[in-house]
Amino acid sequence: MEDKMRRVFDEYRALSDEILKPDEPKKERFIQAFKKMLSREENWTFWLPLLTSLDLCVKCNTCAEACPFYVASGRKEIYHPVYRSDLLRRIYKKHFTLTGKIFGGLVGAKDVSEEDINALAESAYRCSVCRRCAYVCPIGVDNGLITRETRKILYELGIAPDEIYHKGTLYQKEYGNATKTPSEAFLNTLEFIKEDLEDEKGIEVEIPVDKVGADYLVINNAGDYYAFLDTIIGQVEVLNAAGLDWTYNTPIENGTNDVVNYGLFFSDKELTDIGRLHLEVVKKLKPKTVVVGECGHAYEALKFLYKDIYPEWRNVRVISVLELFDELIRTGKIKVDPEKNPMPVTYHDPCKLGRLGGLYDEPRRILNAVCKDFREMEPNRDMSVCCGGGGGFAIMHKDDFMTFRMETYGKIKANQIRETGAEIVALACSNCKGQFREIINWHKLDVEWKGIAELIANALVYE
Amino acid sequence: MPEIEVKGKKLLLDEDGFLQDWEEWDEEVAKALAADDRWTGAKVELTDEHWEIIRFLRQYYEKYGVAPPIRILVKEVKKAFGPEKGNLKYLYKLFPQGPAKDACRIAGLPKPTGCV
Repeated sequence: MEDKMRRVFDEYRALSDEILKPDEPKKERFIQAFKKMLSREENWTFWLPLLTSLDLCVKCNTCAEACPFYVASGRKEIYHPVYRSDLLRRIYKKHFTLTGKIFGGLVGAKDVSEEDINALAESAYRCSVCRRCAYVCPIGVDNGLITRETRKILYELGIAPDEIYHKGTLYQKEYGNATKTPSEAFLNTLEFIKEDLEDEKGIEVEIPVDKVGADYLVINNAGDYYAFLDTIIGQVEVLNAAGLDWTYNTPIENGTNDVVNYGLFFSDKELTDIGRLHLEVVKKLKPKTVVVGECGHAYEALKFLYKDIYPEWRNVRVISVLELFDELIRTGKIKVDPEKNPMPVTYHDPCKLGRLGGLYDEPRRILNAVCKDFREMEPNRDMSVCCGGGGGFAIMHKDDFMTFRMETYGKIKANQIRETGAEIVALACSNCKGQFREIINWHKLDVEWKGIAELIANALVYE
Repeated sequence: MPEIEVKGKKLLLDEDGFLQDWEEWDEEVAKALAADDRWTGAKVELTDEHWEIIRFLRQYYEKYGVAPPIRILVKEVKKAFGPEKGNLKYLYKLFPQGPAKDACRIAGLPKPTGCV
């Protein structure tokens, strides 16, 4: 990296100088944007949980020990989950509460400086919004939500990481996917998959595209077709082996063939814009069920958030591909032999599929069926520790942000993997895959990662 | 934004050393990008074997408007140049920082975006 950027919060920088503009005053604009977030009409999505989370924290510190980043940092005060929230609370109390206006610093309503705003902006990108803290909070304060609301305020000022905004949601809106893949290239990749399955496994498959009225419309993270193509190849093989009526899609008109919605990480405006693209696809293709590929945050968006945003989405049945695979195995629609995956395998619970979505048993039933030696990583399920790829981090690597990802969350995860003695880490989320790819290299782990579909495909028995 | 000078002309790069405008690329530019060690810490000496890969990447990009997935790159190289070249190990030997950070960057392709 050339010319090191000025430090404004800690030793890292997530936001480039062009985006953060650290020397430009922004406090007044920040306060105005914050005011918007506190208005029920302007912020109808998250207004109430924001207010309760701002008002109710009693500083019991329960959240701190649940935060992987805080613990891994050696318990640095600035990384305490409440430190970030309290920076925002100071502004809230000072400018938006009566007691704060009258009693000021006595009630925690100390005004902030321009430099504090820079620090707050960077600090909003030191939390992966894994919400382990919210899960353990005895009164339900959600510091993860405060992180996201802070990112929303910053977005109003034009501040968001270009990896997830300018080259993320904006690309997805313009090109139909965040990878800028034209349909011709996408279709060529599908042709390649057919050819590859025939060459390598002697299997002939069909890959339906843009089929109207299929039982299952499967939408993957477009990045999977580049970086994690083995997962897609496995998925195609399994769907074909099960003989399902399914389809992939091109962006069609005004749609998208990318299941990601990075708006979930930083902006309700972007979240709803991208959601409309997904809605457009569903309206045109009329599938009986929408299947979200191996992607965590998209499951949150499509399964839980859209139905509160678009009335039409309430009739859309959404499942994760894990639920579909689990059903195919349980009902005997595909036959699998665990002897085909004899090596020890462990599983990492992605925050969005596990703690948020409650998909704990599905992946375990799958892995126990297709692997001979499945081992739990500790802790797991609801207390699983975020890999450090969440919240957009998996594709952010400005400055020495990679060091932050690898030496905090990544270090914890590396140790957990070592303790299992597993040779394979099974992963169900693209962000986790991107992060584990780096963790394995950085911490020199003698393991491989694989998508769930790959392991199932490898265990398939044809009759 | 960083720049690179080729034949007296300054070309814009992105923060990871990828050429901003893929159409500004020619073989001289490729040589300059390969010799630019600001991004990965190491220069790449271009041999005929490197050029085989670089030309394939350029052709794929010109046809499809996007870089090929790694699996496709490996398989196409295997088809064109044989199994001893059609594997990841060989590609990493040529381009130590990998097909994206070294090969695509030297071929003048834009940096991949999205969850890759």
